Amino acid sequence: MIQFSAVAKRYRGGHEALRGVTVEIGAGEMVAVTGKSGAGKSTFLKLAAGIERASGGSVVVQGQNLGALGETALAVLRRRIGFVFQDHKLLFDRNAFENVALPLRVSGFARDEIGRRVRAALDKVSLLPREKAMPVAMSGGEQQRLCIARAIVNRPAILIADEPTGNLDADYARSIVDLFGSFHQVGVTVLLSTHDEASLALLGCRRLTLAAGTLAEPAAAPSA
Amino acid sequence: MRTWLRQHRHALADALRRLASQPLGAAFSILVLAVAIALPVLAAVALRSVSSVTTSLETDPHVNVYLALDASDEDVRRVGEALRAHPEAASVKFVSRSQALEELKSTTHLAELLASLERNPLPHAFTVRVRTTESARLAQAKEAWSAIPKVDQVIADFEWSQRLGRWVTFGRKALALVALVLGAAVSFIVGHLIRLQVVSQRQEIEVRQLVGATAADVRRPFLYHGLIQGLLAGAAAVFLTWGIATWVSAELRALTPEYATEVKVVFISLAGSGVVVGAAALLGLLGAWWAVSRELRQFSPSF
Repeated sequence: MIQFSAVAKRYRGGHEALRGVTVEIGAGEMVAVTGKSGAGKSTFLKLAAGIERASGGSVVVQGQNLGALGETALAVLRRRIGFVFQDHKLLFDRNAFENVALPLRVSGFARDEIGRRVRAALDKVSLLPREKAMPVAMSGGEQQRLCIARAIVNRPAILIADEPTGNLDADYARSIVDLFGSFHQVGVTVLLSTHDEASLALLGCRRLTLAAGTLAEPAAAPSA
Repeated sequence: MRTWLRQHRHALADALRRLASQPLGAAFSILVLAVAIALPVLAAVALRSVSSVTTSLETDPHVNVYLALDASDEDVRRVGEALRAHPEAASVKFVSRSQALEELKSTTHLAELLASLERNPLPHAFTVRVRTTESARLAQAKEAWSAIPKVDQVIADFEWSQRLGRWVTFGRKALALVALVLGAAVSFIVGHLIRLQVVSQRQEIEVRQLVGATAADVRRPFLYHGLIQGLLAGAAAVFLTWGIATWVSAELRALTPEYATEVKVVFISLAGSGVVVGAAALLGLLGAWWAVSRELRQFSPSF
């Protein structure tokens, strides 16, 4: 489903975030990317989501070599990948419903279908009663769940989350981890980054450890 | 196809929502654009009005030769022959005093006054189409014709109308230039307004792109915004110009004497109004395209 072959990423200014990363993530698999801050976790996820382009090597997602895709094709591919951003990237002048509806509007869904899917996604993250609430009136945990609802509303085959439990307390972090576990249970490929050992233990999935932009030997999934 | 239509519907709704969210700002922007568009439209109305006067004027080079009031039919025949024999005369047309009176009655509001006169005050006349507009040759011809017995006056009164015609032609060219400059200004104003919106909505654009919006998806609502602004500004400009033209027309009617029926304000046609509104919408669209494309280049490809 996701294949990295000798992938390198160098940003403008010369900072090398990743180098020589080769890894394969199968369909329906759940993988946690770990490592210290600045290890290249976010870059890895963005490359997998088609948000960034690799400077070297190749990234193949669902059989498509992202390096060979034009801007429009890459944008269309992003519609099939749900991404939960570390900083949420919510629109603060739109209510919860409108935030979650955004990917569907971009994809050109009909109004009825948008209503159905948005409410289903909000229900999945237990935010349906808050559909008219503005993000500014929501707690950090609610904003995180809203971001997850937006990521799953297009029913993606791949769900990617960058530090989804980063700023949450233990109880909230557990509920978010459970949520990702439930998506994995229904066959969604889940790829998330975290440096929270408690969350990793709860996830009980394969780990990819990044250090200074390179991939350490993949660890086996710990027993839950 | 249905998806494409829905995307356009969403973009249109988005553009209308943006306009409605800042009604005062949107109204002010549209008014500024309308004033810019109204200027060349007003100039066009002024030119059309002047043109309507000049088309009824005689602008071919000609000289009117008026005979004395006591000129007999024999005098008329003799003067006519002398005029036709002159090398500068291309053609000669006789207008009898009775014919001149009838024409004056039919083209002015003086019929009643003329009917009350005991005798026809107008002389016989000849209209001579001349071969030249060169002043020296014209002066020689006028001098020769003035010397013919029973010729009272020789007047070459086409020169001012020719000059007016030339001014109208110049005015048309100047109008095209002004329309071009103000059209560019409208496009830049819309572009600038859209650019400000793009910058202020940078975060939303970024999020849209992250969730799969293509450059066309991002551009679409802004293009509708520019199109709607241009359309409304064009309509407002036509309405504004029509209001001014109506007012000026009423004032002119009150100020000009009754016999000056040719002095009137001629508003642009319905098709012309449509062209103004359409052109304004197109300029708004172009301005928006320029602004969004410029800003999008700065966003992509890295988020």
